[in-house]
Amino acid sequence: MNKRLPPCAGEWIDRNRTIEFRFEGVTYQGYAGDVLSSALWANGVRMLGRSFKYHRPRGIYSLAGHDANVMVENGAETNLRGDRLLITPGMDVRAVNTVGGLRRDRLRVTEWFSRYLPVGFYYKAFHTPRRMFPFYERQMRKAAGLGRINPSATSPHTPKDYAFCDLLVVGGGPSGLSAAISAAEQGVQVLLVDENPQLGGSFLWQHARNPDARRELDDLLSRAGELENLSVRLNTQAGGYYSDQWIALFDGQRMTKLRARATLIASGSIEQPAVFENNDLPGVMLASAAQRLLHLYAVKPAESVVVLTANDDGYRAAVDLHAAGVKVHIVDPRDTGEPSGLAQAASAAGISIQTGTVVQKAIPVKGKSGICAAQIVRTGEARATSSQVECDGIIVSTGWAPNAALLYQAGVKFRYAEQVEQLVPREIPSAIFAAGRVNGVYELSDRIADGRRAGLAAAACLGKYGGEIPSAPIHQGVVPSHAYPVFSSAGNKAFVDFDEDLQLVDIVNAHQEGYDNIELLKRYSTAGMGPSQGKLANMNAVRILAKLNGKSIDETGTTTSRPFYQPVRMALLAGRRFHPLRRTPMHAWHVTANAEMIHAGAWMRPEYYHEEQKSRSALILAEAVHVRNAVGLIDVGTLGKIYVHGPDAAAFLERIYTGRFSNQRVGRLRYGLACDETGVIVEDGVVARVAADQFYVTATSSGVAAFYRELQRWAILFGMDVQLVNATGHLTAMNLAGPQSREVLEQLTDLDLAHESFPYLGVREAEVAGVPAVLMRVGFVGELGYEIHVPASYGLHVWTAIMKAGQAAKIRPFGLEAQRLLRLEKGHFIVGHDTDALTNPFEADAAWAIGRGKSYFVGSRSLEIVRRRPLTRRLAGVVFSEDQRTELPQECHLVIHKGDIAGRITSIAPETTLGHPIGMAFLHPDLCEPGQEITVRIDGGKAVQCRVASMPFYDPEHTRQG
Amino acid sequence: MPHRLLKFGLRRHYPEPRMFRAPAELKPEYDVIIIGGGGHGLAAAYYLAKEQGITNVAVLEKGYLGGGGTGRNTAIIRSNYLTPEGARFYQASVELFQDLSRELDFNMFYSERGHFTLAHSPASLRIQRWRAAVNQHLGIDSEVVGPEFIKHAVPEIDLTCGGHQAPVCGALYHPPGAIARHDAVAWGYARGADRRGVEIHQKTAVNDIEIRDGAVAGVHTDRGYIKTRKVLSAVAGWTTHITDMVGLRTPLVIHPLQALVTEPLKPWLDNIVVSASLHLYVSQSSRGELVAGASLDPYELISMRSSLDFAEGLSAHMLDLFPCLGDVTVMRQWAGLCDMTPDFSPIMGTTPIRGFYIDAGWGTWGFKATPISGQTMAATVADNQDHELIQAFNLSRFGRFQLVGEKGAASVGH
Amino acid sequence: MKSLRCPINGPRPLQEFQYGGELREMPDPDAASDEEWADYVFHRNGGPAVKREWWYHVPSGTWFIAERDNQSDTVVRTYLYGRETVHE
Repeated sequence: MNKRLPPCAGEWIDRNRTIEFRFEGVTYQGYAGDVLSSALWANGVRMLGRSFKYHRPRGIYSLAGHDANVMVENGAETNLRGDRLLITPGMDVRAVNTVGGLRRDRLRVTEWFSRYLPVGFYYKAFHTPRRMFPFYERQMRKAAGLGRINPSATSPHTPKDYAFCDLLVVGGGPSGLSAAISAAEQGVQVLLVDENPQLGGSFLWQHARNPDARRELDDLLSRAGELENLSVRLNTQAGGYYSDQWIALFDGQRMTKLRARATLIASGSIEQPAVFENNDLPGVMLASAAQRLLHLYAVKPAESVVVLTANDDGYRAAVDLHAAGVKVHIVDPRDTGEPSGLAQAASAAGISIQTGTVVQKAIPVKGKSGICAAQIVRTGEARATSSQVECDGIIVSTGWAPNAALLYQAGVKFRYAEQVEQLVPREIPSAIFAAGRVNGVYELSDRIADGRRAGLAAAACLGKYGGEIPSAPIHQGVVPSHAYPVFSSAGNKAFVDFDEDLQLVDIVNAHQEGYDNIELLKRYSTAGMGPSQGKLANMNAVRILAKLNGKSIDETGTTTSRPFYQPVRMALLAGRRFHPLRRTPMHAWHVTANAEMIHAGAWMRPEYYHEEQKSRSALILAEAVHVRNAVGLIDVGTLGKIYVHGPDAAAFLERIYTGRFSNQRVGRLRYGLACDETGVIVEDGVVARVAADQFYVTATSSGVAAFYRELQRWAILFGMDVQLVNATGHLTAMNLAGPQSREVLEQLTDLDLAHESFPYLGVREAEVAGVPAVLMRVGFVGELGYEIHVPASYGLHVWTAIMKAGQAAKIRPFGLEAQRLLRLEKGHFIVGHDTDALTNPFEADAAWAIGRGKSYFVGSRSLEIVRRRPLTRRLAGVVFSEDQRTELPQECHLVIHKGDIAGRITSIAPETTLGHPIGMAFLHPDLCEPGQEITVRIDGGKAVQCRVASMPFYDPEHTRQG
Repeated sequence: MPHRLLKFGLRRHYPEPRMFRAPAELKPEYDVIIIGGGGHGLAAAYYLAKEQGITNVAVLEKGYLGGGGTGRNTAIIRSNYLTPEGARFYQASVELFQDLSRELDFNMFYSERGHFTLAHSPASLRIQRWRAAVNQHLGIDSEVVGPEFIKHAVPEIDLTCGGHQAPVCGALYHPPGAIARHDAVAWGYARGADRRGVEIHQKTAVNDIEIRDGAVAGVHTDRGYIKTRKVLSAVAGWTTHITDMVGLRTPLVIHPLQALVTEPLKPWLDNIVVSASLHLYVSQSSRGELVAGASLDPYELISMRSSLDFAEGLSAHMLDLFPCLGDVTVMRQWAGLCDMTPDFSPIMGTTPIRGFYIDAGWGTWGFKATPISGQTMAATVADNQDHELIQAFNLSRFGRFQLVGEKGAASVGH
Repeated sequence: MKSLRCPINGPRPLQEFQYGGELREMPDPDAASDEEWADYVFHRNGGPAVKREWWYHVPSGTWFIAERDNQSDTVVRTYLYGRETVHE
């Protein structure tokens, strides 16, 4: 750690804890509190990364995560930022995107070809001849990208946190601290977040050697500490502002979703690069980075530097560097006016100053792993007049850009202010506040005053302050930013965007090609599209474009800023991944009984029940056969279950369903078919009239939530006196079916089950196994059957009681697949399976379900129009011969007639209780006549024949279910 | 290195001219005004000039070229649609895309990567089979594949979804599924149209359209009035602004669609992966970023704001499918506008207003239709009669209750 | 819009709500022509405006009307259907 300075007050490192770590296979030492970049710099390592495109060496530039020069991977994680990555014992990292290691990176040859790779070069070549493009593309893809993923990594489930406050203050620097205190003193609940491990912001590095500033900070910190309603979160970034004061905070471990009532942004500003040749090489860094190195990590940035500055901040840094034993020479492009106080101080300290002069080029050492001199020239003069100053560092301080990402996201509009040569807020939405440098206020005392102003304004907005709000300070001092910090005329290797290796010449050329507005320029040149999202590139790009167009910054405009402020790990956004799953009360029983449980929407349902040595299809068929011949029980707890009460209940259901219900007798069931307003089938179920003013209706498992919602809305719109209860969750249901179902059920109920007393399509309320139940005689599987609805909490009890009572009859549970088969044999279509998003009742061959003489129901008027149009398709049954079983169509294979699509198989059952395969299909109406031969094209293009058959396939006279 | 790049290294001055002019003045009259300088409008302008011989055309763009859906979509191109009308139309688009870099002499980075639509249930798989059957009937390369095939192509995938979702039981695989540089499509067409005499006016907003006796008479812009007898509206998410100007009723409702992009990674994901159940689609761009999107925002909104819900939901589903990506970072999220129709098919062609042509209703599928919509709309505008490929998509289909049911397959469609 | 005021339950996070589309006046089905009916069924007022919309608070099963600007995503007011004149 030969570049480490003696201990200084306020440093973030703990010299008592030495940490060993590895970088590029070499072991180094640093201190606890060091980030990777600072620890390496302390060891004299200058080349910390390679650039994206030309693989140029890169070092520390911002030391604040505002650039992406230092990105490493550790085998598990990738694209880690060296500027913010704390070193830990045993850490072993390598730079991303090199071939053969950082130093010997074989891809550095790319730079030799750079003159042949102008802006957007990939749009201009490689596409002819077409067959060559995949080759070129592979090479380019390989070269692009930064880190590698680790395919064996797993994602831990990170928790998410929710928080609330009156006022969120983003940034704990001079203005943010002052704002938070001012608001909290008025009784506002304040949350102050700062991305750094300590409060203080630029106090800590920019004003570290100023004892007055230190006292000011201590005073603010102690006042903040005394306020119980001011809480602080450190190491926390506000990653994105979303509408209505909804802010995502990230602390590296978790995301906190914060709801504030007001937000105050005091996020400071981001120091901007100057554009000159080789302005990207290790050794060239921002003054703010040099000061961070000096004061936070006690590391000497270089031995001898040229400070290129056009503001007071650079002079302050120069004095700091000088005090740390660095040889300093100041170069200042400005040529007019009295030297400021800081300039005089620098001069007094013996620092040489050249005004009216700029750095035009950094002279690299061999291999470009550092610099050995700065080529300087008087502003406006030719390169020939240049001279060189030997140095191993160039410290740049020519201006700032507001760190305004959150303000843009909050809808703040900006304007360019010449007195600070920066964008400042112009229009701020209510309950959003900006203070400090992001608000164009630069002097330390002004920033504290501006924080106080904004804090009080926020308190007033929150109703906690009624006094006077001071006006915003007006910047009086030296202009903090240079209006055009571009000091290279040729523009080669003078970088505007370090992430993208984008040079001044690229911007000029893109402009020449017609990409002359900021959005087009950005997209064509990729300025600002890299991992640091233009934090160091956008402002200079706008300045250059404005100059090229001869327009002002305001006329040129800026690009918008979108979340996230810094890249966010997906694991933090994903959180615990809550995916609700629904289980019926009988779920555990099914699992014990070896059911194959499958997802059915949000529900889990038994598909069939396993038995050893038996195939899936054999088991499904066996379950179905058992229902046909004996008795079976199926869990239909997932069915939608809705109560409809009230004097208008019958009239209401008549408007909902296509059928008639006003003349339905109490104790009877009817089929209900519902359409939407366009006449498309959306739901079906049974409608049981349990009392004159009370109906109990079922709906499909997946459709009930939407159906219930629509019922509620129609009830409001119709203005009818009905009450609706969605009982889907609190009731459960099972269907006992088969010729022996009566014998099983009568053991468990006192209800008279004789056909005469409880006929087909009857509904009764009675106890089953001691539990109050609604019993419905339905026949959708085509056998004698009872659907039993009971409170969910008793579901398992009733189920096990029925299974026990059925032992003599060898009752067996059956699953979804057997049910589907049994229904298909009865010719019942399944909504959403046999019908699609446009099927109307005529197409579904369900015109019979439309009540005669009804005036209005949902969809009726549309169906009136549809009915007058020729039918284009109809559902029909199809049958196959037994020997076709090995070569059957699958569902959704197409019916082909005379070379055209003439239909589609919607359901198919290879193994049936009938002995031969059957199916259902949409067919052109001309092909629907029973006996008609049709052709289905199956996988591989083979044609399979089948015959149209009338439905139901099984028991067409309905003798068994009745 | 291709010899085409040599000139850049060997010439003293940068040799490239402007790709598109910036005409200072609007002419008093054009044969055709195209509203919208996105891919569709520019493609229509290009084909009007090239194939219909109509060059007195102005494209009016209120912002910048390709600034709407063209520059905001996730750049997926495919033709494995459900309806024969849709599949035929998009297949024609794919065929134009395949040759577009050569046609426009502008490398669109059209890259066939193979497109998987994952099915997490038998119900979903049968829909994929339906699509495959329709596709195969029309000669489109598309088939249903099993889990092993998917795992072989995308080894990083967790077919069990970590137990968070129903496992993947198969997929529709569409080998020609491709991605391209979306902006380049707009720029390439812009350059091609410009070279054929079309005027492109950026930062020119249409404030009103003058209709006289049921026919288009002219357009009021913020730079003055222009006479014209034909107006083509190709503004996707802003269509309802335009149709309100001419008093045309449509079923269009605007919803935002969001997307995000991760930091660049070395290539690992060759294919385009879509899961309707997980509301997710993802591919890796030529820059190495993962580009991912989800389903539409759940309510009508004509605003391109981002939401945290989207980033959270998408990340969760991404990790369900790719558990190795937990430490991969999301760099940026954004939104675009989608003009949705009830049947998810576009609204194209002539309208009851003479001389007013509409190219809208793209929902989430506008980018992949860019070349063919340009070509068919150019023919439609020139002939004043719907091109054969788009007849099914005319606005009048709703009045006739003759919808084109592309929705049947798609809860998410990219 | 990140939270919405349910007239029954007060302001709640948006995740608890389901959007129900624009409130539209149904023409008399018996009197309307086919064209008028198709227009009602399919066409929407998709342009920018403050619209009256159906919203549903899922946990409590409450439908209500929100007057919302579909560009700024701000809600002017919410009320139960037919109760817009009642002051809260």
